[in-house]
Amino acid sequence: MRRSPLAIAIVGAAAVMALAVPVLGSAYAVSFTIQLLVFLILAYSWNLIGGYAGYTHFGQVSFFGVGAYVGTLLMFHWGVPWYLAAIVAGLSGIVLAIPLGGAMLRLKGPYFAIGMFGLARVLEAFALGFDSVTQGGTGIYLKPMTDLRPLYFVMLAIGAVMLVATWRLDNSRLGLKLLAIREDEGAAESLGIRTTRIKVGAFVVSAIAPAAVGSLYAAYLGFIDPPTAFAPNLELTTIAVVLLGGMGTVLGPLVGAIVLSVVNELLWASYPQLYLAIIGVIILGTVLFAPRGLVGVAMKHAWLPAGRALFRRLALRCAKAA
Amino acid sequence: MPLTELLVGGILLGGIYALIACGLNLIFGVMRVINFAHGDIMAVAALSSVSIVMVAKLPFWVAVLVVPLAAALFGLLVQQLILRRIEGAPVIMSLLATYALSTILVNISILLWGGGYTGMPGVLSGSVKLLGVNVSLSRVVSFAVAVGASLGIWWLLARTRFGRAVRTVSQAPELAEISGISVGRVRLATFALGTAMAGLAGVLIAPTFAIDPQLGSRFIVKAFAVIIVGGMGSYPGAFAAALLLGLIEVFGGYFAGAVIGSALLYLLMLGVLLVKPRGLLGAGVRV
Repeated sequence: MRRSPLAIAIVGAAAVMALAVPVLGSAYAVSFTIQLLVFLILAYSWNLIGGYAGYTHFGQVSFFGVGAYVGTLLMFHWGVPWYLAAIVAGLSGIVLAIPLGGAMLRLKGPYFAIGMFGLARVLEAFALGFDSVTQGGTGIYLKPMTDLRPLYFVMLAIGAVMLVATWRLDNSRLGLKLLAIREDEGAAESLGIRTTRIKVGAFVVSAIAPAAVGSLYAAYLGFIDPPTAFAPNLELTTIAVVLLGGMGTVLGPLVGAIVLSVVNELLWASYPQLYLAIIGVIILGTVLFAPRGLVGVAMKHAWLPAGRALFRRLALRCAKAA
Repeated sequence: MPLTELLVGGILLGGIYALIACGLNLIFGVMRVINFAHGDIMAVAALSSVSIVMVAKLPFWVAVLVVPLAAALFGLLVQQLILRRIEGAPVIMSLLATYALSTILVNISILLWGGGYTGMPGVLSGSVKLLGVNVSLSRVVSFAVAVGASLGIWWLLARTRFGRAVRTVSQAPELAEISGISVGRVRLATFALGTAMAGLAGVLIAPTFAIDPQLGSRFIVKAFAVIIVGGMGSYPGAFAAALLLGLIEVFGGYFAGAVIGSALLYLLMLGVLLVKPRGLLGAGVRV
């Protein structure tokens, strides 16, 4: 992403819009953009482990949910301000991710996917079961926020940090190592890359923002219950956002989040089943017809400069032809 | 006598898990594809059986015959239209494809059948005495069919020409190709057989359990636990693990509550993945 007009235009337009919304926009525009930012932050986090390291991660909503509950309980019982609650929630993401990642990421490929698959359901069952702490299915109500703008800017800042961090990663040695793991883990290991350590690192980093955003989202809604905290639709939308935008790319999650927030806004509230089925169709269609996502298509047509992944694929094609 | 009651209940539950896991295992063993939609194919099969029996007023055996065949047909389509096209792609693509398929199936069945619970009262009702415990007939029948189907698959793989071709394709696809086995066709047949087993499992759970479009996700996690604990791709391992997990769930649920009961399965699966990733019997494929 070096001085590409389209890339600068996309990021610039998104930034201007995002900054203008709370000043000029209606309350509706603000809440729409908050929803978009939730998807965006989850997507950038998922992109680290799913896009760069190539690990199919079905457990991200678990961190979101745990963060939501940690934050909500702090706000509810001790009246902790929402920003402090979000910080503690982010830390709780780390605390959960270190042992979980350390254990699970010794597994490869499909085993990791299976291992993480049921986690959110188990945690949801716990949240329902331990109703003395979480108030079970009734949920916890918080004092509604009067002014959403501070929360909005905090979320925007987290999203911006994730974008810049991904851009830095894309141009770093560490990013290259993650891509090496994605392409051939055995070969990466034999080159001396400490694969497990790097994977666990990426996993832990990818857990912080979702947990913090979980807490922020709970504060924004003023309410949390197990189906909201561990919503399968969030997991699904996150994966669709990254896949549609382009896995392992800097701009992919941004592009995907903008497209899918609109779809989400149009359909989720009135036709949830239709929305989820359409998300499924989008994932399936992307896998079949454009596995590199929209950004990949743009790179292919040279609207965007090619990332490393594309160079590597071209090199591979030459090597095969030779 | 709660102890024998739990014992019988656990083993009967395990039989169902064995049937679900068997199809999943078959597909993984041959194609190295993890079919996240397996449970949802089962859910659609169960809902269709309920419609066949309760709405169309046809006898239960019609569902037993028709639904697995329809599931096999669906499997053929999925393999031909989706999975075949991403065979060479990274693993993440097939995982995401079956995951997407699962979502599509769940939500379309909610749109078709509604989100609530249905059932099949009056089919295979009545009870039999087993070890001095009264057990509903439907549970015993589904256990017997599950065991029969699992044995049938084992026989098919171990003793027939087709089975030998399947095993060759799973162990060495290139060698299978040069020995004149049509790898594509074997994969097609395997996937259809696997989805047919999901269909059969769906028909069998319809008279026993409360059926809703989301039951797939509840069962698939348990089926994953079964094939992990038993060792991926190992059929005897999966059968033993299915009985073990059925017992653990029933006993855990009785003594520690339903939440802990199902969480135990998950924890056991994590433990096995970490300590003995080839399964308790050590018969699974290498991770």
